[in-house]
Amino acid sequence: MLKVNQLMTAGALALGALVSSVHAEDTVKVGVLHSLSGTMAISETSLRDVLLFTFDEINAKGGVLGKKIEPVVVDGASNWPLFAEKAKQLLEQDKVSVTFGCWTSVSRKSVLPVYEKNNGLLFYPVQYEGQEESQNVFYTAEAVNQQATPAIDYLLKQGYTKFYLIGTDYVYPQTTNLVLLEYLLSKGVALENIGGGFKKDDSGKIISAGKYTPFGHTDYQQIVAEIKQFAAGGKTAVVSTLNGDTNVPFFKEYAAAGLTAETAPVVSFSISEDEFRGLPAKQLVGQLGCWTYFQSIKSPANKEFVKNFKAWLKTTNVPGIVKEGRVTCSPMVLSYDGVYLWKAAVEKAGSFDVDKVRAALKSGLSFDGPGGKVTSQPNMHMTKNVFIGETTAKGQFKILEEFKDVYGEPWLLGKFKSK
Amino acid sequence: MSTLSTRHKVELIAASAIGLFFIVIFPLLNAHGMVSNFTINLWGKYLCYALLAISVDLLWGYTGLLSLGQALFFSFGGYMMGMYLMRMIGDLGQYHKPIPDFLVFLGWTELPKFWKPFASFPFAASMIFLLPGLLALVFGFLAFRSRIKGVYFSILTQALTYGASLMFFRNDMLMGGNNGFTDFKFILGHDLREASTQRGLFIVTAIVLLLVYASLRLLSHTKFGLVQRAIRDGENRVLFSGYATAHFKLFIFVVAALIASIGGALYVPQVGIINPSEMTPDKSLEAVVWCAVGGRGTLVGPIIGAISINSLKSWASRAAPDYWLVILGGLFVVVVLLLPGGIVSIPARLKSLWQRVTRQPSA
Amino acid sequence: MRSLTRFIFITLFGLLAFGCAFATESPRAIITAAILAKDQAHKLELIGSLVGESDEAIKPLLMAWKEDGLFVCKASDDAPPLPVILTGDKDANDAQAALRVDNGQPLLDAVGKPVRLVAGDLTSVEHDAELRHAMKNVLDLLDLATPDIIKRIQAIQAVGFSQDVEKIPALEKRLSLEKNSAARKSLLEALAVTRLKASDAEKLSAFNELKDLHSLSSYDLIRTAMREEEKAGKPELAEAGLHALKAIDLHKTKINVFGTLFRGLSLGSILLIVAIGLAITFGLMGVINMAHGEMIAVGAYTTYLVENIFGTGITIPFFGFSLPIPGIHATGWFYQTYFLVALPLSFLAAALVGIALERSIIRFLYRRPLESLLATWGVSLLLQQALKLMFGSNNVQVSSPIYLSGNWTIDDITFGWNRIFVIGFAGLIVFGVWLILTKTPLGLLIRSVMQNRNMASCMGVRTERVNMLTFGLGSGLAGLAGAFISQIGNVGPSLGQNYIVDCFMTVVVGGVGNLAGTIYSALGIGLVDQSLQQILLNPVLGKILVLVAIILFLQWKPSGLFVTRSRNLDD
Repeated sequence: MLKVNQLMTAGALALGALVSSVHAEDTVKVGVLHSLSGTMAISETSLRDVLLFTFDEINAKGGVLGKKIEPVVVDGASNWPLFAEKAKQLLEQDKVSVTFGCWTSVSRKSVLPVYEKNNGLLFYPVQYEGQEESQNVFYTAEAVNQQATPAIDYLLKQGYTKFYLIGTDYVYPQTTNLVLLEYLLSKGVALENIGGGFKKDDSGKIISAGKYTPFGHTDYQQIVAEIKQFAAGGKTAVVSTLNGDTNVPFFKEYAAAGLTAETAPVVSFSISEDEFRGLPAKQLVGQLGCWTYFQSIKSPANKEFVKNFKAWLKTTNVPGIVKEGRVTCSPMVLSYDGVYLWKAAVEKAGSFDVDKVRAALKSGLSFDGPGGKVTSQPNMHMTKNVFIGETTAKGQFKILEEFKDVYGEPWLLGKFKSK
Repeated sequence: MSTLSTRHKVELIAASAIGLFFIVIFPLLNAHGMVSNFTINLWGKYLCYALLAISVDLLWGYTGLLSLGQALFFSFGGYMMGMYLMRMIGDLGQYHKPIPDFLVFLGWTELPKFWKPFASFPFAASMIFLLPGLLALVFGFLAFRSRIKGVYFSILTQALTYGASLMFFRNDMLMGGNNGFTDFKFILGHDLREASTQRGLFIVTAIVLLLVYASLRLLSHTKFGLVQRAIRDGENRVLFSGYATAHFKLFIFVVAALIASIGGALYVPQVGIINPSEMTPDKSLEAVVWCAVGGRGTLVGPIIGAISINSLKSWASRAAPDYWLVILGGLFVVVVLLLPGGIVSIPARLKSLWQRVTRQPSA
Repeated sequence: MRSLTRFIFITLFGLLAFGCAFATESPRAIITAAILAKDQAHKLELIGSLVGESDEAIKPLLMAWKEDGLFVCKASDDAPPLPVILTGDKDANDAQAALRVDNGQPLLDAVGKPVRLVAGDLTSVEHDAELRHAMKNVLDLLDLATPDIIKRIQAIQAVGFSQDVEKIPALEKRLSLEKNSAARKSLLEALAVTRLKASDAEKLSAFNELKDLHSLSSYDLIRTAMREEEKAGKPELAEAGLHALKAIDLHKTKINVFGTLFRGLSLGSILLIVAIGLAITFGLMGVINMAHGEMIAVGAYTTYLVENIFGTGITIPFFGFSLPIPGIHATGWFYQTYFLVALPLSFLAAALVGIALERSIIRFLYRRPLESLLATWGVSLLLQQALKLMFGSNNVQVSSPIYLSGNWTIDDITFGWNRIFVIGFAGLIVFGVWLILTKTPLGLLIRSVMQNRNMASCMGVRTERVNMLTFGLGSGLAGLAGAFISQIGNVGPSLGQNYIVDCFMTVVVGGVGNLAGTIYSALGIGLVDQSLQQILLNPVLGKILVLVAIILFLQWKPSGLFVTRSRNLDD
């Protein structure tokens, strides 16, 4: 019976969507393309939530150019070909003005040709590996030099001399470690002090470094034993690009082997406040994180943002939304910043036309977001502040260091020459 | 073949009519803007899935071998085509290097040796047949020789596809890892983003599907087809009648692998991406659902199943994303328990129901 | 546990402070004497005598001295001078509370009222380079005596890694006082490593000593030292270094071999406990339960629920309704026992789900194994979605009880408590299942029904009921496995998917219908997998090779390790 109710609500919503599309005159359609089911739903649903919140916030203040934002939410279902299909649907059928979406690099790469073909505009909010600069994507995401290299700088300053690279086997960790290998060598770290193994090409030249485990990997016994031996000499930090849920078995094994943040800290690039909802935070206390936003930032803008988001969660009636224990995190804030930057660009251009909006974005617009001021760059990336934080038992970060106004630089490979 | 029953005649006419519609009329409508590019692309994808479903049915419905590895052959075909398409990108990728993008992010500066021949379409096309065929031959030979059957065959094929997906998920495999291949530009000199190219691909897919359908239809009427079904219903009796069932099964297994592989090869240029999540055991099971829902042991069933379930999926992932898995899972349970014959058995069931209702008063 | 140790610490400290106050040579007294001493040599000697002491007062006092924070004042004009330290917030007059250096108590005036002083009015105690150097020696080595053993070892290692020859006397003094064997080993290593910077003769003995200690932590430093000797053209020293390195490498190999065996055993045990339920439902009953993984998930979520009930409670959204479950706010040891409560409940919850599944679907499919495979896969999707609706699509946190989150380290080989527990528990489960199947009436019925359903039925066995209970048992065991998985990995709606293929492999390799086979195959697969991981240093390749090996193995023995003999052609 209850199920029937749910179905009726779903039906009513679908009907509502139909009805509202009739009054398309005074609204502007905006696509939301995230996985709401499948493995990535864990992370991406939060981004849908924050986007809907942002649209409501903007609509309450009169919308964009006098038009209300009408979100078209579609589900990529963690299925990359389906992402491409949904992107086509958004651009060719719904004719959205802009899309906010994608989390994994593979989903972005799978929709990229669709956006280039239709000259659409996609705002991409999640830390990524760089080496890409499409004219149809605006990367609010952290580039490698806005996350990984500042973290290494911090660790070097703290006197760490050995680095163990570990990550999930996909494009982001692979590319990040490729850059980090060059970066560490350029900072005078010897090859033997970089752990995790090296990859060689046909001629035997070292081309990349790091230990990689597949998604959903559960058995970290051997790797942790290896790290323990590597770290026995002290002054060792683990640089982790492990994705989402593999962090649980990794950190449980790490703690069980007697390794702690004091003996060998782990700096993770893929664990934000949102991920802590599914992680044993107690076992991560003192481990490091590096993002362009932390919920613990004490600025008035951030307090306001967190308060408003939580208030919105209480009143919203989006079906299936999780209302308890919600936090804010960097990808969410970068989504939020992205919507406001787009709004600013539309207002500057005076039009929803993608070419004009892009030109406005490239001219360098600023927005005072929860993580501080962000500025759009001519290379479709975003200048923002970078923070290093230490995990607390409550699943938040205590901020240890801040790097101001770091310019987003996607092309890093080959930039650092070894000494 | 001379004694076609009325039912078969009707089926022949219907198949030709539907084939004509998909091969000629539908693309024509698209060319004149009556059917959107999006729709024709979507249907192209469905038809590829239909090929996969037919290959599952050939094994399961006709021979009683439930293979959970068909998605693997589908992906292999896709990967071979994908390798050709990747080479056709040339230096138009994001990095503007002469090697595929994912090799650049792995630190490679030159093309690995096994990638080199894939610049030639004939080579890639022959690999679409050779590689899955060879794998099916070796695996099938081993499995059927030691008389692995029933659920053990299912579990082993599941292990095979699981192992292969783990392998392809590794970036060190140099096959694109988790991202797989994407961002294709050209096929045989045609721009893949052009509507006409997509239309051409759709027509090719429809023709291939029709050919596969027709030849399997013919095959099922030969003695071979009879032996095939006899194996399904009582393998030992066939064996004792002097037939080397292992050879029959091996042949069917290889044919099914080839059909799936062609489906995959046509799927990739239309969808624009291939990656290892296409070869996980779940995908194979999904193809089995299409087959079961449509009606196994028939040739129309899998096609109907593949198209209807995938349209349902396209709809559900938009209208009720949270409930897609419930719908899929529920369908499975319902079909297995209540409608073992699938959608195609509905008319017959209604008919017998009607007969029972009409007979009752006289009784 | 923690509060108890803290209590002991505090008590000990109290006693220590008490004792110090009356001892003639308490560190506070020494520092006071050093401040008041007129003679530089005497001052140095007094400060030097603090080396190796572990009193908590030393650090703040010496730090304050170095930073001009100590002052000498007189309570009255004719009273003896008293060194004080100013602490606390400044008030409106810039005055701060003054504590006496000799006993840490507030400085009192004639009427017994605490005195507040202004730093600017006083002259700070003087210090010079020599004194600061002496103080630094004291401070550096202070941590060597930290009561907390882990911190102490860390501090010892830190001193050792700095390879400062001047610290050798201090380390030696500490070594003479140290009782803890682990700390002693660290001290010996630190000393030897530091001696690598001393004279050639000492270097040689240090290399040899490190070789005997096969010190893992010194590996990098030995290597560096060896290369320096090579460059300096001292082949005998370089060779000694090489020998030390080789000895450590050998030690590493030993650690890896034994570690791999242990890890293989633990992985095998995990496979065993996740697969043993399947060995019953699939092996004995012939039902292909693709929802087996979800039974594991049900068990894991039950553990999560129990943990929350022991804690602060939880609210479960249930098809639009919220179902609040209050918590009992347990703390300390009582809270830690949640896991022991969760074990039987996980079994029960999964068993109930299993029985419901058997009654509603599987019983119609006993003669159609392929269909049962498909239907249960559908059920597994439904269950995953149900878990998602109830607990959200995020993974949930299950914190491990303290008794599952430490380790034993024997000769540098780490044995995690959770792993030891899993191994022991797998043994218990196997024993329990064996008991049930062979020593109970239910076991007799189960075996009779599985051997010949019709015959058993003719003898009056209620086969329907036995089927239901057997399936419940198999599912319940999966639930137990889930409780364990929650301690070592993720708890999420798709938890079961990670294990299902491994489960089937284990059962098929062992030989369907044979529990002993499942045990051998689980342990065998675990050991092979971990060995391959160790050899290839790659977590996935090992797993793929294991799968290939299994496929090949089944060519050789199509019915698995142990064949259940039957005259039936179709079995």
